[in-house]
Amino acid sequence: MGSDDRVSFTLNDRPVQAACPPERILLDLLREELRLTGTKRGCDLGTCGCCTVLIDGRPTLSCLTLARLVEARSVTTIEGVSPAQGLSAVQRAFVELGATQCGFCTPGFVMTATALLREHPHPSRSEIEQAISGNLCRCTGYLAIVRAIESAAGSAP
Amino acid sequence: MHLDPFELHRPTSVEETVGLARSLAGRFDYLAGGTDLLPNYKMHLNLRPHLVALEAVPELTGHSLERLGAMSRLADLERDPALAAAWPALADALREVATPLVRASGTVGGNLLVETRCFFFNQSYFWRASLGFCLKADGDRCHVVPQKTTCYATFSGDLAPALLVGDAEVEIAGPTGRRRIPLTGLYDAGGDGIRRLTLQPGELLVAVHLPPRARGRRGRYLKLRVRPAYDFPELGVAVAGRWDGDGRVQELRLAVGGAEPHPRTFDDLTAPLEGQRLNDARRAALGEEVARRVRPVHNTFLVPEYRKKMVAVFVRRALAQAEEGRAA
Repeated sequence: MGSDDRVSFTLNDRPVQAACPPERILLDLLREELRLTGTKRGCDLGTCGCCTVLIDGRPTLSCLTLARLVEARSVTTIEGVSPAQGLSAVQRAFVELGATQCGFCTPGFVMTATALLREHPHPSRSEIEQAISGNLCRCTGYLAIVRAIESAAGSAP
Repeated sequence: MHLDPFELHRPTSVEETVGLARSLAGRFDYLAGGTDLLPNYKMHLNLRPHLVALEAVPELTGHSLERLGAMSRLADLERDPALAAAWPALADALREVATPLVRASGTVGGNLLVETRCFFFNQSYFWRASLGFCLKADGDRCHVVPQKTTCYATFSGDLAPALLVGDAEVEIAGPTGRRRIPLTGLYDAGGDGIRRLTLQPGELLVAVHLPPRARGRRGRYLKLRVRPAYDFPELGVAVAGRWDGDGRVQELRLAVGGAEPHPRTFDDLTAPLEGQRLNDARRAALGEEVARRVRPVHNTFLVPEYRKKMVAVFVRRALAQAEEGRAA
């Protein structure tokens, strides 16, 4: 573990160090200490998936992760998925196919979809539906979201 | 929601963990995947001043066809086709736990030891304070079955029934060394929703052992819940067995979870079926007898009368589907 009440890890490919008491949740560290507010607080209990980030490439609920336990690991948030120029294939597909309504759940869906396509570059529709079953869209725009992920799978590098 | 302060420990061996557990006696919780403990902490349910995180203990991680480390992540097990072929009821159960995001963090040990649940327990502090606290947290009475001694909270893990029908054993480390017991012995059949495990203070679940004699049984786990994603079981029925070329039962196991404070098996009902062919009437009769014994109470979303009826239906279906299933 890092020195007392601090945590060091890689955040969106850059090393960061932050003050962090043991009870601090990763979601709070990201939003309140590091000011990366793209990761959303939905239910705060692991039900909705709005707070999804990648930890060592794995989609993970940041609201149920103690920040101190990402010591020496690599965290990717929605702020870290775009290439140097423009948007990632998943982001572009969400924009082009209108896969957002209010947009609050979108960062979580993009993170889950990004991890899915890394593991399965060409998922079936049912694999996509399974993969996003832990992300809730209260506007219920699921059809467009599934289509966007299918489209991103077709165009992903 | 912010968590109240606690001290965080991160041991790197089983021995160190057990030592910590002894020195912190009664003032700590183990932190495995955190997917149930941390929501409970956010709702101020039975907070402890110390958390012992288990993710840095190498002996607890990793899995094979014979052994599941207690800190094996459910998502990793789910992605192992050899494990799914050898243990089909377990494969069903793994897919049915919560959501892929919860399974990415959730662990085998956490699922087996998951806190029992109740409509009157899994609520915010404000909600519980408004109604009056209950036996399981901060209070002295039960709102489900009004009295002051017994807690009726429901065991809500999906893996336990599926592992019980695989005759699984658990390896436990404690202050006096290691012991290995059948998984059935982990759950305190004489206890209640609070006194629900036979683990002694400071003991640590190290691994689940899957005996080769049960490998390759056909199996099925069926789960009743309101939403097909996320929800804890309102009922879980697991079946595993072998059938000979004539369709006669060679061995048969059945387990039920999600309905009472602990999961349980029904060997006295399934053993007499060995040597027989199962037909609709026999499956229905077994389902009715299991349903007669299982006694859900009104502490989850679905009413107990419905859950009890579904016990018979799920037993029937699970038996038929397991027998049809491809043997590994």
